[in-house]
Amino acid sequence: MEGLFVILIPLVVFAVVGLLGRRIGDLGSGILTTLGGFLSFLFSIPTTIRAIEEPFQIKLYEFITVGDYTLKVGLYFDELSSITASVVTLVASLIFLYSIGYMEHYFGRWAYKFYAYLNLFLFSMLLIVLSDNLLGIFFGWEGVGLASYLLIGYYHEQKKATDSALEAFVMNRVGDWFFLFGIISVFLIFGTLDIVEIFGKVGEVESHLIGLSTLLLFGGAVGKSGQVPLHTWLPNAMAGPTPVSALLHAATMVAAGVYMVARLYPVFEAAPETLKVVALVGGITALFAALAATSHTDIKKIIAFSTMSQLGYMYLGLGLGDREGAMFHLTTHAFFKALLFLSAGSVIVAFHHKVYDIYRFGGLKGYMPVSHASFVVGALALAGIFPFSGFWSKDRLIGSYFEVSFVWGVIGVLVGFITAYYIFREGFVVFWGKERWRGVAGEEPREVGGVMSVPMVVLGVMSVLVGFLEGWYMGVMGVRKELHIEVAVISVLAGLMGIGVAYLVYVRGVVDVGKAYESLRGLHTTFREQFFTEKLYHKVLAWGYLRSSRFAYNLGDRTVIDGTINLTYRSLLKVFKLVWKAFDIKSIDILIHTLAIGMFRGGRVLRNLQTGLLNNYVMFLLMGVVLILGIMLYALDRVKG
Amino acid sequence: MKTIPVEAYFAVSMILFGLGILGLIARRNLITVLMSLELALNAVNVAFVGADAHMGLVEGQIFALFIIALAAVEAAVGLGIIIAIFRYRYVESTDEITDMRG
Amino acid sequence: MVRFLIFLLFSAWAIISAIGVVTFTNPIYVILWLLSSLIAVAGIFFVAGAELVGALQLLIYAVAIAVFYVFVLTAVPWEKAVKKESHYRTEGVISLPLILLLYLEMAVVFLLGVVASPEGKFREAIARIGNAEVVGSVLFTKYFFAFEVVSLVLLIGMIGAVLIGRKESQTYEDDTG
Repeated sequence: MEGLFVILIPLVVFAVVGLLGRRIGDLGSGILTTLGGFLSFLFSIPTTIRAIEEPFQIKLYEFITVGDYTLKVGLYFDELSSITASVVTLVASLIFLYSIGYMEHYFGRWAYKFYAYLNLFLFSMLLIVLSDNLLGIFFGWEGVGLASYLLIGYYHEQKKATDSALEAFVMNRVGDWFFLFGIISVFLIFGTLDIVEIFGKVGEVESHLIGLSTLLLFGGAVGKSGQVPLHTWLPNAMAGPTPVSALLHAATMVAAGVYMVARLYPVFEAAPETLKVVALVGGITALFAALAATSHTDIKKIIAFSTMSQLGYMYLGLGLGDREGAMFHLTTHAFFKALLFLSAGSVIVAFHHKVYDIYRFGGLKGYMPVSHASFVVGALALAGIFPFSGFWSKDRLIGSYFEVSFVWGVIGVLVGFITAYYIFREGFVVFWGKERWRGVAGEEPREVGGVMSVPMVVLGVMSVLVGFLEGWYMGVMGVRKELHIEVAVISVLAGLMGIGVAYLVYVRGVVDVGKAYESLRGLHTTFREQFFTEKLYHKVLAWGYLRSSRFAYNLGDRTVIDGTINLTYRSLLKVFKLVWKAFDIKSIDILIHTLAIGMFRGGRVLRNLQTGLLNNYVMFLLMGVVLILGIMLYALDRVKG
Repeated sequence: MKTIPVEAYFAVSMILFGLGILGLIARRNLITVLMSLELALNAVNVAFVGADAHMGLVEGQIFALFIIALAAVEAAVGLGIIIAIFRYRYVESTDEITDMRG
Repeated sequence: MVRFLIFLLFSAWAIISAIGVVTFTNPIYVILWLLSSLIAVAGIFFVAGAELVGALQLLIYAVAIAVFYVFVLTAVPWEKAVKKESHYRTEGVISLPLILLLYLEMAVVFLLGVVASPEGKFREAIARIGNAEVVGSVLFTKYFFAFEVVSLVLLIGMIGAVLIGRKESQTYEDDTG
């Protein structure tokens, strides 16, 4: 059945590429991966159609029975999971295709590993999306974390990349710890891990227990999505190849947290305090990330902060009760964020992976028209300008904000303004203006080949069209589509204002960038350093942990254990030496010594008996005879008497 | 007629034997040493014959005969040795033939 | 009674001669004293009734051996040797107590032996035939093997004595032969 193929194809391709990749070759692995992705997407379409009509479950495998509960793996297809699966597979396949061109510089250096990891990632992501119980979600959770680590650190010769991969993994781990406790508490509360069953039992359980478990589950989502406070890894994860950034850290993996909350939404709804926390975290992150994005200059980091901020939007939406809005924004975001990353990637490729600072580019729109168009489309979608897809999803979300609280709505609009500003800042600096790379870079940048352009174009088209599917989407999800005109107007205006400010500053030069920078230096640095959270984590937490573990090592290992062993060794040595001296040298050696000397001296003395004189010998004979006779008589006497 | 008590024979034998041994130990001239040895042997003969007389046996006398014969042999050989020693070393006292010393 | 006195006479003679053997310095005197003691011992033998042994003692000892000693004493040029003292005083003194101890022990042995000894069976035979015959008959029948062995020893001794005492060619500057 098709549903099974959706998730199995990436797994099979992973095995094939992973094991036979060397034989197939790097290009072959790339093609195979792309084909696998498309095949998976194709299979997901009929599944989606079927699932929308009637959600269905596929039971796969039961493996351990503990007590009276059996752990199993299975798939659950309903409208939410199957549509998300289709989106994931489509975006993934396009990015796979793109990566064949992007990773060309790495072909011949075992690039098949890259494709193996990508397939592993896709499989794990689909496991999260399609699994019917929390255990499967957890497997997928861990799997995407592992794939993220492997892929971020793919350029393993660079220390920055490996450090970032480790940071991502560790922070993810912290989140996963919460997630695991959340799963355990869910099991304790509900007695089952199956999602459908949990939905059935929500009403029977006390609400504060649910609150605790959902809070823990959300902790996992925070780590996975890079929300505050587990956020410092996301900008650093840009050290990985651009396809990775596009797929994992924009479209899918970081969205897994949002998906998880949406998936378990009935449970979350039963714990309103948790939803408040969700909203708070999302809102804070949205603002925080947007501010940070305004002050960075790395071509990919800006987009990464944008991802963080948009995820905050989604969590805010979830927290304020609009599950469908958040999921729809996730869908549109997947397309336009991937598009943005891919266009940034093509700029990087055009400069042979050497330049990353936006101020080192400039005026590329004449040289790279496709990339420029893609970027502009993506940026417009991100800014939420009508009629791009971002407009529709953002409008819905901000509308939901205003429904619940005026403050959140204002914040949402504010973030929208800042978002438009920073993304067009990047766009104008990179593609418009003076050609700052002249004389510095070797040759003129050329547009990238078809392999990379086609996905960008497709994504661009999707970024435009998907927005119009909002009605259908909402209908499928079972809610009404609402268009709040006043909210729409306000958010579009905010977006246009942001674009305008960026245009004025960076194109027209109305405000001198240098002077503005000087005067706003403090603010700039604060935003840039992400309100010093990164420094805080690195210097305090990581360094403190390192110091304390080193201290513990010194104390425990070196002082206590090594000291004990050394002490034991030394005292044993002393004891043995003493015993050796006492016994061997003093007693035994001396004994033997005296014995030998005694023998010698005695011998020398006894020698004097051998006088050589006959008469003496006779006298000794006489002595002997007397003695023996005496003994014999004594014996005789004893016997007789 | 009173028979001679056997203790008398033994007493005589003892005294003679002791004197012979004393001479053996105390004399320096080689030949006199041998002569003392003859004395001791004679003492032993006296003891044998005395015991014989007391017990009425003749085995003692037979053994005394053997001793006499052997004493003769031994005297001959011993004197031959003494003469040989004299020929090589021109010594006549025991303290000059202490080659076995040590 | 008479026998006992004669025995005492002979034994005193023997002891005095023995003391002479031990004490005198001149070897010729020592030989003469030895001869005297040998004859006295022969007398003791006769008194004890062992006539054969006594006769043989006189023949072999007093004649052959004593003469042999005299011969050696005179034929060998003893003056070429270094003259030394004739006695060892130290050893003699030391050995006296030992000898007395020996006497003690021998006395004990003899007395024990006397008590335990069996009664003899040849008295009537000796009284009838005479001592020599009895000894001869026992010697040549019961102890014949020992007799032959002793004769063999005599032969060997003779050969040995000849060999040892043989004159090497360059030993004497002035040889008498």
